[in-house]
Amino acid sequence: MTAWSRIAEIGLIAWRCAGMARHALWAAKTRSLFVVAGIALGIASLTIIVAAVDGAERKANEMVAIFGPDAALVLGGNIESRAVGQRTLTLSYEDAAVLRRSLPGAYLVVPMRAKSNVQVRYAGRVTQVPLVVGTTAGYARAWDWPLSEGRDLSEEDLTRSARVGLIGDTIAQELFGKQSPIGRTVLMDRFPVQIVGRLSYRGVSGGGGAVDDRIIMPITTLTKRFHLERNYFRALRVKFHDPEYMSAHVENMRSLLRHLHNLRPEEEDDFSILTADEILQFLSTFKGGLILFLGVTALVAMVVGGFVLANLFYLGVDERRSEIGLKMALGAPRWAILTQILLEAVGLTLIGAILGMFLGMAMGQLLARLEVLEILFSWKVFGFALFASLAIGLIFGLKPARRAASMTPIEALKGN
Amino acid sequence: MSGSQPIIQLQNIEKTFLLGDLNIEVLKGVSIDIDQGEFVALRGASGSGKSTLMHILGLLDRPTGGRYLLQGEDVANLPDDRLSALRNQLFGFIFQTFYLIPYISALENVMLPGLYGATPARQLKHRAEELLTQVGLADRFHFRPGQLSGGQQQRVAMARALLNDPQVLLADEPTGQLDSATSAEIMALLQSIHGQGRTVILVTHDAATADFAEREVLLHDGLVQDR
Repeated sequence: MTAWSRIAEIGLIAWRCAGMARHALWAAKTRSLFVVAGIALGIASLTIIVAAVDGAERKANEMVAIFGPDAALVLGGNIESRAVGQRTLTLSYEDAAVLRRSLPGAYLVVPMRAKSNVQVRYAGRVTQVPLVVGTTAGYARAWDWPLSEGRDLSEEDLTRSARVGLIGDTIAQELFGKQSPIGRTVLMDRFPVQIVGRLSYRGVSGGGGAVDDRIIMPITTLTKRFHLERNYFRALRVKFHDPEYMSAHVENMRSLLRHLHNLRPEEEDDFSILTADEILQFLSTFKGGLILFLGVTALVAMVVGGFVLANLFYLGVDERRSEIGLKMALGAPRWAILTQILLEAVGLTLIGAILGMFLGMAMGQLLARLEVLEILFSWKVFGFALFASLAIGLIFGLKPARRAASMTPIEALKGN
Repeated sequence: MSGSQPIIQLQNIEKTFLLGDLNIEVLKGVSIDIDQGEFVALRGASGSGKSTLMHILGLLDRPTGGRYLLQGEDVANLPDDRLSALRNQLFGFIFQTFYLIPYISALENVMLPGLYGATPARQLKHRAEELLTQVGLADRFHFRPGQLSGGQQQRVAMARALLNDPQVLLADEPTGQLDSATSAEIMALLQSIHGQGRTVILVTHDAATADFAEREVLLHDGLVQDR
C-alpha cells in the first residue's frame, strides 16, 4: 500500500467517524443539549466582550477625533473631588481674557455657558431643546465642527447681544424638515432668535451623548435673556498650536489659572482640564474594567461548559462501553475510537459556539439599544469564538476520548 | 490456500487473571489445531474457560502463556492496530447478546465493519443489502434493532459478521437468548455459512447445539478433555 492511499484511507475512516459521531450525538439529544447550552453561554459572553471592547475602542477614537488632539476643555469645579456644594462657576471672563492674551501657544479661547431644557417653536411646531449653549465668536472653529450652511457667530453678534443662533442638525430637521433654516426666526421661551448657521451632523460628542440637538447663541445674549450670572461661565474651550506639546500647554494653563484664582499651594484646583489624552485614559480604564469583568464571566462560563462536557462525556463513554468494545472487536483501530469521541466533543462545542455567537449578538444589540454598552461586531468575534470552542472541545474531550480508546475490546464488551 | 497447514494453531495456551492478590488460572495449557473450512464446537460448562478461549482465538484478548499461530504467524508480538486489522479482515463475530448499535438501522449496523476500511460506501451498502437479503431480512433494511425480534437481531449480527468476507466465523453462544425454533433457524444459517467454505468456531454449553458441528472440543476446568 502506498503512502498516499494510506493517507486517503485514514481520511476516509476519519470522515466516517464524523458520521458515526453525528449519529451518536443525535441519539443522546439531552446530553448533547446540555453541553451545547453550557458552551453557548460562554461563547455568548465572549462575543459580547469582544464586541464591547471594539465598541469602546471605536467610541474612544470617535470622541478623540471630535474633541481634537490640539484642544483642551476647562470646566469650573474639580470633577475628581467634587465636594458637596462646591462652586462650579469659577471661571470668569477675566480668566478668559488673560488666557487669550498671555497663555503661550493658545490661539483660540472660547468660553461657554449653557441653559438646559428650553422650549423652541416655529410655525406651530414645538420642540424641547435639551441644551442651549452660549459662547463667543468662533464656536464652530473651536470644536472643529463645520457648518453645513450659513455662517458662524461673529464678534459683532457678541457685542450687540444679537438675537441670532446656530442650529443643530437634528433640531433643524424637526422644525424645518427639508427646508433651509437660514434666515428664519424661531421663538425660544417667547423671545425671537434668527437662525444664521446650521451645524453639520456629528452623531456623538466627546462626552458620549447626542450633540445634534443643541442651539448655539452669543453668550451675551444668553445671559441677558435667561437672566444668568454675568461674570462667570461654566466651561472654556482652548485650542493650541503644536499639539505635540499638549502636556506643557496644559501645565502652563493650570498654573496660570491657579494664579488667577489665588489658590495657595496646598489648595486643590477649583477647575478641571480635559484633553484627548485624558479621554483616552478614562476609556482605557473603562475598557480594562470591561475586559476584566466580562472576561472573568466568559472564562468561568466556558470552563463550566467544558467541565459539563468532560463530565457528561465521561459518563457517556462508560455507558457506551459495549458499543466501543463492539467497534474494537469489529476492527476499529484505537485512533478511530479517539477520533470519534473527539469529533463528538468538538461538534458540540462548535454548535454551541454558533448558537452562542447569535445569542451574544442578540444580547449585545439589546445592551446597545438600552445604551448600556457601545458594541461593534466584526469577523474577529467569529475567529475568537471558533478558536475558543475548538480549544474547549479538544481539551475537555481529550480525557474521555483517551479513556474510550484505551479500553481493551474485551473489557469494554464485558462492561455491559 | 493449502490444506496442509491449520489456519489456527493453539500451543499450550494459558490465561491467568489477576484478581487482587489472587491468580485465577482460567486456561491451563490448551492446544488445538483448527483446519481451514472446519466447523468446530468448543463445548464446556460455565467456568470451563470456553469464552476466554474464544476471546483469545478472536484476538480480543492476549494469552499469558503458550503460542498462537494464525495462518502460521505468531500473533503474540503484533501491535494493537495490526490485531484490529486482522479482526476486521479475517474474523467475523457473533455474540450471545447480538451487540447491535441501537440508534442506527439494521443496514447501517451491517455496514459497520466496512467503515474501518477503504471500501467505497456504495459498495458497502450494496454488500450489506445482499447479506441482509440472504439472511431473510430484505424488508427490514431500515428498521432499528429495537424494532426487530431476537432472531432477526441475530440475523443482522450474522450479516454484519460476513460483511468483510472473513475466513473465520466465531460464534459465542449464538442461540443463548433465543427460543428453540429460532435457534434451529440460526444454526441452519451457521451451517450454510460453513457450506460457503468458511471456518466456523462455535462456543456453547449445550450438547445439542454442539452436535451441529463436525468436531467437538470439550473444555473442562481450563483444559481440553479427552474422550
